[in-house]
Order: sequence, then C-alpha cells, then structure tokens
Amino acid sequence: MSATATAFGAQVPQPVQHGKPGGIMRRLNFGTGLIGGLGLAAIAAVVTNAFIPSGAASSVNYAPIAPQLVYLAALLGWVIGFMAGMGAFIGPIRWLMGRDLTHADAEYMAGKDLGKARYWKFTTDHKVVGIQYLIMVMIILGFGGLLAMLIRTELGVTWAEVFTPSFYNSIIGTHGIAMIIGMIIVVMGPIANFIMPIMIGARDMAFPRLNALSLWLLAAAVPCLISSLFLGGIQDGWSVYQPLASQGPPGMLGYQMTIIVFAISTGVASVNVMTTILTMRAKGMTWSRTPILVFGVFAAALMGLYAFPFYQYSQILALSDRIFSTSFFKPLEGGSVWLYENLFWLLGHPEVYVILIPSTALMLELLPVFYRKPLFSFNFAVAGIVGVVALSGLVWAHHMYMTGWAPAVNYPFMLSTEMISIPVGFLVLVVLGTMWRGVVWTRLPIMAVYAVIFNKMIGGVTGIYLSDVPADQYFHGSMFVVAHFHFMLMGVGLFGAMGGIAFYFPKMTGRMLNERSGSIGLWTAFVGFQITFMSMFVAGLQGQPRRVLQFDDLFNISNWISTIGAYIIGVGMLIFLGAIISSWKYGDIAPSNPWGSKSLEWQTPTPVPLDNFAVLPVVTERPYNYGVPDPYEKEMREHDGDLMTKVGAK
Amino acid sequence: MSTDAVGTQETPLYPPTGEPIGEIARRTKVGLWTLIVMSVSGTLALVVSYSYLWALNVNGGWAPPGASLTSSQTNSTLPSKSDATFAPEWPFWAIFGLTVLATIAMWFGYKQLVKGHRDGMLLGGGVSLIITVAALVAQWIQITTFPFGASNGAYASAVLLLCAENIFNLLILVFLHIGLLNRTRKGLISPLVYYQTKLVSYWMVWICVSVLLGALLTTFLLDSPNTEPSIFGTFKLPS
Repeated sequence: MSATATAFGAQVPQPVQHGKPGGIMRRLNFGTGLIGGLGLAAIAAVVTNAFIPSGAASSVNYAPIAPQLVYLAALLGWVIGFMAGMGAFIGPIRWLMGRDLTHADAEYMAGKDLGKARYWKFTTDHKVVGIQYLIMVMIILGFGGLLAMLIRTELGVTWAEVFTPSFYNSIIGTHGIAMIIGMIIVVMGPIANFIMPIMIGARDMAFPRLNALSLWLLAAAVPCLISSLFLGGIQDGWSVYQPLASQGPPGMLGYQMTIIVFAISTGVASVNVMTTILTMRAKGMTWSRTPILVFGVFAAALMGLYAFPFYQYSQILALSDRIFSTSFFKPLEGGSVWLYENLFWLLGHPEVYVILIPSTALMLELLPVFYRKPLFSFNFAVAGIVGVVALSGLVWAHHMYMTGWAPAVNYPFMLSTEMISIPVGFLVLVVLGTMWRGVVWTRLPIMAVYAVIFNKMIGGVTGIYLSDVPADQYFHGSMFVVAHFHFMLMGVGLFGAMGGIAFYFPKMTGRMLNERSGSIGLWTAFVGFQITFMSMFVAGLQGQPRRVLQFDDLFNISNWISTIGAYIIGVGMLIFLGAIISSWKYGDIAPSNPWGSKSLEWQTPTPVPLDNFAVLPVVTERPYNYGVPDPYEKEMREHDGDLMTKVGAK
Repeated sequence: MSTDAVGTQETPLYPPTGEPIGEIARRTKVGLWTLIVMSVSGTLALVVSYSYLWALNVNGGWAPPGASLTSSQTNSTLPSKSDATFAPEWPFWAIFGLTVLATIAMWFGYKQLVKGHRDGMLLGGGVSLIITVAALVAQWIQITTFPFGASNGAYASAVLLLCAENIFNLLILVFLHIGLLNRTRKGLISPLVYYQTKLVSYWMVWICVSVLLGALLTTFLLDSPNTEPSIFGTFKLPS
C-alpha cells in the first residue's frame, strides 16, 4: 500500500498503481476483441486443418470429422480470442499476479469520463452494462424477428416454395433459439442490470467484473449461432432433439457452442444478481419493503442457476458424441435419446418461467404507479412467485408425454403442471386486485400491461389443454402448441418487456419515450399478434403439424391470415423501435421522476450518477404506499400543533 | 454481519470502493454459495446421465464389450471393438484421497493464517498445491490408460465425462492455489485479510464431494440391473 484515495469520504489505503489507471484495459475494446476473436479463430482453424486427417469420419453421422473439428476449433478460437481481446482475462491474471485494482483503476473500469467509448469496452458500471444489454437484446430479437418473417413468408406463399426444405428447417431452429435467448435476457439484461441495483439502493452489482463478463460472453455466443446458418444450420428446431441433432450438419456445433457459452453467461449473471439482492439491499429494506420486481428478478436468477447447467451439459454431451464418439445419446451403444430429452427439459421448462416471472413482476411493479394504489396483497404476489419457482423444476416431463418415456409418470406430471396454475393464479389475482376500483393514469407502460393481461389469459388457458395428457395426444406437435407458447413467451414476455422499457426509458436514457409513436407501435404489434396466433390456433385445431414446410390446402387460409398478421407485427415492432431510437436522440428531456413513483430508482437524479447515490438511502416504508396515510403524519401534526400552541401561549 | 478481518482495532478497507473488507468477504461468500449451487447442478447432470444409462442398459450397450457379464447382458448387436472392461476402481479412490488431502492441507493453511501465521499458510497452501497437481496428474494418467475407448459403450462415455469434469475442476484449483500463494507471499492475503483463503477452502470441500460422487458411481454402479434390456432391432455399423 503506497498511497491513499478518497472513496465516498473515507481515506482508503491503495495498492501500488502500475502506470495509468486501467492499465492495459485502456487499450482494449470491442475492436481488439474482434481482432483477437477472428485472429485466433483463423489460427485455430488452420492449425486444426493441418493436423487432422481429412478422411476421418465421425461415428455418429458418418460425416467427415475434419471439417467439424476445424469449425469447432474456429468457434473456440473465436470465443477465447474475443474475450481476451475485450480484456476479460485481465482481472484473473491481475489477481494471480497480486496486482489489485486501485480506486482509480475501478473508476476507469466503470467508465468514468470515457464518454460513449465506455459502451464499447469491458465496462463494469451496471448502468453501462444495462444499456449494452438493451442494444444486444434489440439486435438478437431483430435477427430472430427477421427469421420469423422469412418463416411466415414461406408458410404464407402456399403456391410456391420460397426456400429449400433444409434452409427452412435451419431458419426455424435459428429463429427459435435466437428468440429464446433474446426473451431470457430482455428483462434480466437491461432492466435487472440498470434498474435493479438502484432499486435496492446499491451503488453497483456485487461483482462488477462478472457483470461485464456475462454481457460480453453473450456477445461472443451470438456470432457462433449466426455462423451455424452457413454450415447447414440447425435442422431440428430449438430443442435439437437427438438423434436428429447428431445426424445434422456441422452447423449444429454452432448451436452447441452458443448454448455452452450462453449458459456460462447466464450462470455468472445469476450469481451476480442473487448476491446483489441478498447482500446489498439498502438499510431498512426488509423483504416486505423490497419491490416485487426484485423478487421476480431473484426468482428468475435462481431458476437459471439450477436449470441452465442441465441444458449446458446436454449440449456438452451431444458435442462429445459428435466429436469424441462417445455414446450418451446413441442407442446402438447403450445411449438413450430420452436422457437428452430429460436433461434438456430440466432446463426447458424452468426457462419458460425465467422469461415469464420477470415480465409478470414488471407488470406488478407498474400497476401501483399508474393506479396510485398499493399493490394488492404483496404477500400473495411473493407467494405466487415462490410457488412458481418451487414447481418449476417438477413439470419438465409434460413436454415428453408423447415420446413414450415413462408413461406411468404422465399423470403425476400432469398434476404438477396443472398445480402451477395455482401460484400463477395468485399473481393474476394480485393484478386484478390492484386494478379494482382504481383510477388509472393511462400512459404507454400501462397499455403494455393490458396487452400482457390479455395475452396471458389466452396463453394460460390454452396451456391447461396442453398439460392435459388426453388433450395433448391431439394437440401435440401441432401449430396449436406453437400458438400457445408464442402467447406466453412473446405475448407475456415481450409485451411485458416493452412496457418495462417504456416505463424505465426516461431513467435509462434521460429522455421521454414518444408516447404517440410508441403506442401506435405497441397496439399495431398487438393486433398483428392476435391475427397471427389466433389464426395459428385454428390451423392447429384443424391438425396442421408444426415445423412442416408443405401442408394440405385445408390450412391455406389460416396460414395466409397468420402471415398477414406477422407482417403487421413486424410493422408495429419497427414503429416501436423507431420510437425508441428517435426518442433516445431527440426525445424530451426526462425529469428525474416522471411517473411520481415511490421506489428508490426514481429518487436518484437523471442521468444517474456513476455511484448512483451520494449517500446510501435508508428505507422506512413499503414501496407501494400510494394513497396510504403516512403513519407519522398525525404525530407530526400533533407535534406541530403542540409547537403552535406553545408559540401561541408565549 | 460477520467479518473475516480480525486482530486489529481498525477495519481494513477494500481499495477499489472503500467498503470494509468484511462486507466484501460476506458478499463473496454468498457469491460462492450460489456458484456451488450452479456447480452442483452441473455435476448432477453427469450423475443423472451415468445412473440413467446404467439403469436402462439400452440395447445391452452399457458395459464395455469384454466386461465380465452374464450371458443375458451380453450385447449381441454391438460389434466388439476391443476387449474393453470396466475401469479399475482404486484410481478413482486414489484421486479422491489426494483431493481430500489437498483440502485438509489448505484448511490447515487457512487456520494457521487466522492464528496469525502467514508462513503456515504458505506451507499448507504449498503442500495443497503439490497434492492437487499430483491429483491432476493421476487423473490425466487414469483417463489416458482406461481399458476402453470413448466409443466403447455408455459406461465408457459416462466415466470419461466424469473424469473430464475432475480435470476441469482440478485445473481451476491449481490456478486458485497459485494465486493464493502468490498473494500471501506479497502480503495481500494476511491474518487481517484472509477471506479468499477461506472461500477457496470451502470450494475445495465441494470439489471433494464432486470427486466422491464420481468414485461412488464408478464403484457401486457397474453391472446394470436391467438384465433384459430393450433391443431396438438389429444394427450394423458400416464396414
């Protein structure tokens, strides 16, 4: 320790400062990441190509192994090189060498005085990471949405084949997984990172470097997914069931690498989010005074923490089968495809709640603000979230009713699946109770809440049919299932996130979101959404199978209508995106608390200072006490009255 | 709030943020527990895979061809690629034993550090590092000398992945050991600031459990209980 620095008023002994604050991180950014990633990918590919005999074949699909190994080496090289070029390994190396960060280093890493350059670096400030996530989410959802348009184009143009069956399959799979990734992070990325720490009265996340790590790992994963499109793509849907996946083209390796890296990203993000909430809540913020959104984010992180490793390992094992000729999923050699399905759905269903719970909690967060009423039965809302988390790990096999795996357990799983509607019902009751007899302040965020309520009703009711074993025998594998999960994941997840972005936009960007164009975008997308997926329910009821390129003429009309609806969604989303971009640049300057909210994140100035709070806040009441008499008001009045009496007496 | 900084009237502060080290220690400890939950989940995925394939014995392909089996367990459809057998059990237990010894040495170092003996930490940590490297080498030798190859049935696959996980965990431990020793040598880990040593010691206990699970599986779940497995038709590998 050679000197001291002043940190929040305290004189703090500092380790030796080597060079300028930030050290080598001053030279590293997205550009060096790209150079590192592409460079190492090229080197790895060339070296692997030189050492692998070209005639070697994989025992799984009997395809030549050499190109697959080259592709895998390139993917690994890309991820490692990109992360190295971004500076992700500098922290561990510094720790190993005993070169701890100084206060000046930490401030540099947080992006102090770096201007817009901080958005292109391994910046640790949670607000920068939140904005980076927002951009990333828009790119991923935009990419997935574009693929959705291509899918609907193919299905709508029933008189011609627009794409080859193989390409159609690959855009289906890529659309699916891109949207799943996008939806998982749409609330957990931008809002949980930017807003949640301020909401609980913290200065940053618990582990700022892990925060940046999770973001840039995601950035490294996305090109792996896109690259798969050029190598045969993902041919068997986002769930990539075995043995189809093993027999698929090399593009499957891109999917596997994406999931392995994304699971690490989600894991470290979950660790960070949970630790932040558990240890960094402001003084006085007891659990009953903690905003409901924080519970939702915590629940999603917890489910991600226990469930994602199963998904990750399912892909590690699949990759091992393909590359190292192991036999996990090869029945010929003692493997089992049901093992894959179990591992996959052990994540696959909790993942649905990883998407739904933050969006639902966001809805609960918005309602009291715009109805100026306390949240109806806060405890029921918490119980609902806890109930969903508790049951989320016990329902996975309802995806496997028709696979023939353990028919004896179908009915217990049917029971557990239908039981989950009880805690979900709690959440719905809390929504209705909060709205009951309220006087609404109709603004864009609350309109998104209405859209979510409607979509959740449709998605929830149709989900009960699918959880029912006899009904699922008919609906399984049909467009009815596709319509159902779009109502849940997009109808609740995405529309909820749109409401959340509209609500927090002023705090995140310092400008107000244009309500008119935002509302037009939202409602256009909503109308298009209903047209698309209501019509898809009809096609499903008529018996149209999913993932099929060519179908009977019976389904033509439903598909034409769905395609028209999809284009309307696209237009609506573009309008909403346009509102975001134009408002970000030219929107009205936002006051610090435009909604008159009582929670902590709105009590900070806008733009939010680097350290969020000059002095850490102390919480003295629940966050939703709108219209509730201040318990101290009477006492204060009496006190003032006494004073006045005393003054009068004098 | 528990603090890991003792032995002085003055609370050490964390240089980047000026927070008390005890607060950082508490936060990191919670982070470690969540990380352990994640790691447990990953290990469980492998345990489930092993025991699931063992229980099913799909196509009679659980055991490596050549393993001493009853005739009903012999897989007639699987071509015998080698005379592979189950792996010897003792190396799994030897690696487990080494991991436990390394953990004990690290805990010894940590306890010495708490008592104010930095040299004790260097000794305990150093011994722990040597044993961990020995475990890593042993694991490497085991994985390269198995009496079967990766494609010799489901047992071979499951065992190889369990061992690969051990290698990954041990490599991380080597990294952590080198860091701890270097930082202790530089005085960054001291009787006042020792929480990182404590947390690595906790982590090592979990790694012991993880290695133990592998050893238990590979010792007690060998011959599949499913003596009449499903045979899905007849298959032929291309010549």
